Amino acid sequence: MNRCTGFDSPLGVDRRQFLSTFGMGLGSIALADLTRAAEPKADPLVSLAHHAPKAKRVIFLFQSGGPSQIDLFDHKPQLIKQHGEQLPDSVRKGQRLTGMSGNQASLPLVGSPFEFKQHGESGAWVSDLLPYTAKVADELCFVKSMYTEAINHGPGVTFMQSGSQLAGRPSIGSWLDYGLGSLNDDLPSFVVMVTKNKGGQPLVSRLWGSGFLPGKHDGVRLRPDKNAVLYLNSPGGVARTDRRKLLDRLRELHEFQLEQTGDPALETRIAQYEMAFNMQKSIPGVTDLSDEPESTFKLYGEDARKPGTFAAHCLLARRLAERDVRFIQLYHPGWDQHDNLPGAIRTQCRETDQPSAALVQDLKARGLLEDTLVIWGGEFGRTNYCQGKLTATNFGRDHHPRCFTMWMAGGGVKPGISHGVTDDFSYNVVDGGVHIHDFHATLLHLLGIDHERLTYKYQGRHFRLTDVHGHVVKDILA
Amino acid sequence: MPGDLEASELHLLIHSEHEDELMPPPDSNLSLSDDEKKLLDRWIMEGAPYDTHWAFKPLPAEVEVPEGNDRARTPVDHFIHRAAVENGLEPRPDAPRTSWLRRVTFDLTGLPPTLDEIDAFLADESPDAHEKVVERLLGSEAYAERMTSEWLDVARYSDSYGYQQDKDRHVWPWRDWVLESFRDNLPYDDFITWQLAGDLLPDATREQILATTFNRLHPQKVEGGSVPEEFRVEYVSDRLHTFGTAFLGLTLECSRCHDHKYDPISAKEYFEMSSFFANIDEAGLYSFFTPSVPTPTLDLSTPDQEKQLAAADEAIARAGAAVAAAREQAKPAFEAWLENPGSFEWNGLLSHISFDEPKGSQFPDLVRADKPASSGGGNVPIEGVRGKGLRLSGDDAVKLKDVGNFTRHQPFSIGLWVQTPGPLERAVIFRRSKAWTDAASRGYELLLEDGKLSAALVHFDPGNSIRVRSRDPLPVGEWHHVTLTYDGSSRASGLKLHLDGKPLATEVVRDKLTRQITGGGEPNLALGERFRDTGFRDGLVDELHVFDRELTALEVGQLPAGTPVPEALAKASREQAFEYFLSLHPPHVEALDHLEKAREARGKIQDGIPEIMVMQEMDEPRDCHLLERGAYDSRGEKVTAATPEALPPFPEDQPRNRLGLARWLTAPDHPLTARVTVNRYWQMFFGKGIVRTPEDFGSQGRPPSHPELLDWLARDFVAHDWDLHHLIRRIVLSSTYRQGTVTDARSREIDPENIYLARGSTHRLAAEMIRDQALAASGLLVEKFGGPPVRPYDSAMSFKPAKPSGGEGLYRRSVYTHWRQTAPSPVMMTLNASKREVCRVHREVTDSPLQAFVLLNGPQFVEAARVMAAKLIAKHPEAPDAVITEAFRALTTREPVPRETEILRALYDEQLAIFEAEPAKAEELLKTGAAPQAKDLPAPRQAATAVLINAIMNFDEAVSRR
Repeated sequence: MNRCTGFDSPLGVDRRQFLSTFGMGLGSIALADLTRAAEPKADPLVSLAHHAPKAKRVIFLFQSGGPSQIDLFDHKPQLIKQHGEQLPDSVRKGQRLTGMSGNQASLPLVGSPFEFKQHGESGAWVSDLLPYTAKVADELCFVKSMYTEAINHGPGVTFMQSGSQLAGRPSIGSWLDYGLGSLNDDLPSFVVMVTKNKGGQPLVSRLWGSGFLPGKHDGVRLRPDKNAVLYLNSPGGVARTDRRKLLDRLRELHEFQLEQTGDPALETRIAQYEMAFNMQKSIPGVTDLSDEPESTFKLYGEDARKPGTFAAHCLLARRLAERDVRFIQLYHPGWDQHDNLPGAIRTQCRETDQPSAALVQDLKARGLLEDTLVIWGGEFGRTNYCQGKLTATNFGRDHHPRCFTMWMAGGGVKPGISHGVTDDFSYNVVDGGVHIHDFHATLLHLLGIDHERLTYKYQGRHFRLTDVHGHVVKDILA
Repeated sequence: MPGDLEASELHLLIHSEHEDELMPPPDSNLSLSDDEKKLLDRWIMEGAPYDTHWAFKPLPAEVEVPEGNDRARTPVDHFIHRAAVENGLEPRPDAPRTSWLRRVTFDLTGLPPTLDEIDAFLADESPDAHEKVVERLLGSEAYAERMTSEWLDVARYSDSYGYQQDKDRHVWPWRDWVLESFRDNLPYDDFITWQLAGDLLPDATREQILATTFNRLHPQKVEGGSVPEEFRVEYVSDRLHTFGTAFLGLTLECSRCHDHKYDPISAKEYFEMSSFFANIDEAGLYSFFTPSVPTPTLDLSTPDQEKQLAAADEAIARAGAAVAAAREQAKPAFEAWLENPGSFEWNGLLSHISFDEPKGSQFPDLVRADKPASSGGGNVPIEGVRGKGLRLSGDDAVKLKDVGNFTRHQPFSIGLWVQTPGPLERAVIFRRSKAWTDAASRGYELLLEDGKLSAALVHFDPGNSIRVRSRDPLPVGEWHHVTLTYDGSSRASGLKLHLDGKPLATEVVRDKLTRQITGGGEPNLALGERFRDTGFRDGLVDELHVFDRELTALEVGQLPAGTPVPEALAKASREQAFEYFLSLHPPHVEALDHLEKAREARGKIQDGIPEIMVMQEMDEPRDCHLLERGAYDSRGEKVTAATPEALPPFPEDQPRNRLGLARWLTAPDHPLTARVTVNRYWQMFFGKGIVRTPEDFGSQGRPPSHPELLDWLARDFVAHDWDLHHLIRRIVLSSTYRQGTVTDARSREIDPENIYLARGSTHRLAAEMIRDQALAASGLLVEKFGGPPVRPYDSAMSFKPAKPSGGEGLYRRSVYTHWRQTAPSPVMMTLNASKREVCRVHREVTDSPLQAFVLLNGPQFVEAARVMAAKLIAKHPEAPDAVITEAFRALTTREPVPRETEILRALYDEQLAIFEAEPAKAEELLKTGAAPQAKDLPAPRQAATAVLINAIMNFDEAVSRR
């Protein structure tokens, strides 16, 4: 039921061969395979398409709260012209608004007060809030025509992370771990980092949960403290060498037991403790930045020295990618600018612009961008009209599901393009719409997976990340 | 076409060479192998016998027990033996007695057997030694805790509301009800019926109503801007899904959007079934700004509070009688007053805003010069009824200062001139409340709803409120004067609307107000706008008056004119004059004041009584519709409560409500209920069910490995009055349950999954058991039955960290751990507990290195190891091997064999050397946890022993049940 069928077909090699080809030790598959030994034969209904992956791993820089596409990427001179006028019915077309501004008597349009310029050879529009991102514009593929059905954060983030607005489905990273297995033997294959002390809309741990998939596909959150993983560190007074001694004896006990019973579950148990011992070393190996040169902090910014910042997490993401962690999920809350947008969005950009761009540059310099897909974006966009009072210097924007912008880089997407078009008011998509299901289908495609074939049978039904929807956005594939 | 391939459409379709004909269609990514096609062809040739799906056939009245197994201890063994032999397997001999004791003790109580229990059982040579153990376990409170722990997964129990904000909710009294039900061995059909429909039982007891909290344990929403109806529909669906999974073993979710593809349940039937669960007066969102418990609720008063309430009721009755008496006694004085009534002027006027002469954004209060009302810039002065009035923007409130914070016990009146621009669907004219759905409208309000005037006092909208609504719409485009008066009674009859000085015909919409209407953070009266509500856009207002008493009809009649005219008094009817007189007559005023105080006193007691969400059927069932694609706003045809066609008919003598549904469900021949139940319990004892997909007994689930056994167990269970103890005895006293687990390679090959149970089942212990074992073995466990949830050490490491409980809260059984839905106990999560967001009847147990961190490094386990170490050293001061044996027995239930002792002794010696070389390390290790340290024992020995015990805690046999 929960075996991995990932690499049986895509590369024409079996899983074991695949892992050794990529320089992985046997330990990596030991646990996974042993736990599967007792399970039934592969379900023929779960099988992946036969195409080679473009991306081996994903870094998703999730911008929680719904960044304003209008003030960052989706340049709309028309809004500046009609600033202060009421949202025309011809634009809104009677569509539902959220309950927060939906009952407002007045809905004045707000043009972006930020300056927009075209950047790079591709001529991508980026506002002056994002000078660093603007510089790497030629590496990025802007999707300006994202849309969703969710109008609120809870359902919106859940939709983006699991393909359903309702709780209970596996998250993207869990699907990948289930479908493709791990690429390394001493780190979790799905790692999550949430920027510390950001406040904003609450995130919940099920966003990186495995839903109805087995719990081992849960994302593992790295905390910005000494116990980067729950109880990673041996208790006070227990040195690593002393711990090794204990584990050797424990292993002896298990080996003796295995001899007595022949129960293969004991091999799993042995592997479990060996992996734990390795992780006790490999995780601090990732989180300890002392081996990074000064130039790294110049690139990512000084914030990268402070544990728990978005900059530090971008740097950690690169280190995890170097170690072949499959899915690295960052969350940066704080984009929910219902009011005081002009001030608040500056703070958000200051925290995220430089490190996001640095990550792309750094991966490229290390030859990792080619097979690492980097994604930047939130759960929805923001309204072109003001929530609350529009004043000369201040305004807010409500949630807007009908269009928003994300960017992707590396991992098999076309660099230096903008995909999709919204109307002159950044209200509805007029061309090249990319629904969340399409985004998921495309992401899976880049990883060598046919989104219609990665399924898991639960409660009598074959579930997919894309439910019964989704089309690969071929126009953005390199 | 039976017997004729070429005439059979199925044959043609599966063999078709045309893509658009081929079944399954190529785009389904499903295909049939040649063998599968041949099998279907053979089935056609053999006459295509078609039969009802096994799980929908009624439970047979009798099931024959096969014979010929001389090792059988209960009838279960005959079924198992027959299937094993048929598959070329030979059941294993009994496991060692200690194995059985460990199994049964964990399976029934979630705890390991104590050393005394092990010794007693090993010494007991009587033939019913096993029976005695089972009876002891069934009678223990630990048994109830273990059974409850499993039921909490099914019931998706959590101590918080879930979704995004995930605030705490007070539902543990329901969990305590479950504990008590298992402790008292409530028959299982009652266990089901009470939870589904306890409120509908004749003369329902408090326990029976409390049981229905089961239906309210779904996640609930508070996120601002959400559409309440969307989530109300979601709640109703969750109730049905839980009902389907827990009792029917069917996944009804699919039928919400379309007819079920595989099982005979249509979308219409889905909504017919869900309508059983829709008829409670609930809101789609709970309140963000107030702690109100979402309605409907049950008061959980203590006996002492009951007494106080009874006394308060008497006091109110006395005060009421005193008012009536004062009224009667006032008659002579009234006659005298009539002779010379004196002047006629406003009495109790708190505030008068005329909207004339605004000063900037402020409007003077003609009663309180120092407290002007303030208004947002969007409101524009216009020509009013008298002088200036105001046109409202809908986004800007007119806020009064320090006026209007009435309790539900205080009479008050508010009048103003109003002109509505149209027959508005919804608009706030005035309100004293922080917000609409975000505060569940706590406070009082005057709205336009569908063009009609609607006045309410609200604790939690809609279920705890009084509301009256005008029968006719407010005329559009003309000025009218509206007055609301309220008498402090908390009854809809005491809340009145008047139009142009005359009583307005209204209907009562809600009439249940039992708790306070103040609080929430907005203590002043305001006009024209409310947080996230629809404002009175382009509405006109003028001449607002606020009184701290219920105006009499005579006064209300004068209010439109603004000042009472003395002639009115002279012209008034005798009745009106008498009412007016009473309102000024000191003995009557005083009596009313006493009545208010008496109500206030009762209200205080009432507000102090905890409430819990329960089911309470509305008088009239809600209108329910089929929802196209399951969407809340796509209403299709109207539906009424019914059960699906494919299942037994709904009994004609039963009401079409949840109680009838429960009766239908627990009928003795129901095809699913008993089968699903015994299967879940079988799963608890063998790790897997007879049907390995306990959540799906439909055609897509796995068929039962032992269909006759399932039927026999189910029938036996029903025939013994749904007695869980009886069912459990049948299972745990069987030879099947007692079997050894060690087997040969051949048997492992024939039956790798151990479907046929020709060997004992083994599986890792549940998350709760692993932690509880460490607590029990170390002696740290605090055995206390029920009570509020507690927070162990790992609360601090949760995604939403919370301060761990001090003291005994650290050492309670895991069933009592506070369950925050969006950030549950990380230790429990790591050990594969359910998240409990939705009903789950099976846990997927996997092994991961993260579990090793918890058991090796987690403070709960390290502390338990060091506390246990100190105890064992004190008991066996100079005998490390005795310590090893005892620790090993406490954690695995058996004696170590010499090789194991040898390994553990080597471990101990190594660790002792380490700690003796560096005693500071030992001191450091022994600091773990809050339990006191044994300062009198040498630290290095304690530390080395702690590491030894911790190693055993990590040994496979300590975390398994073999």
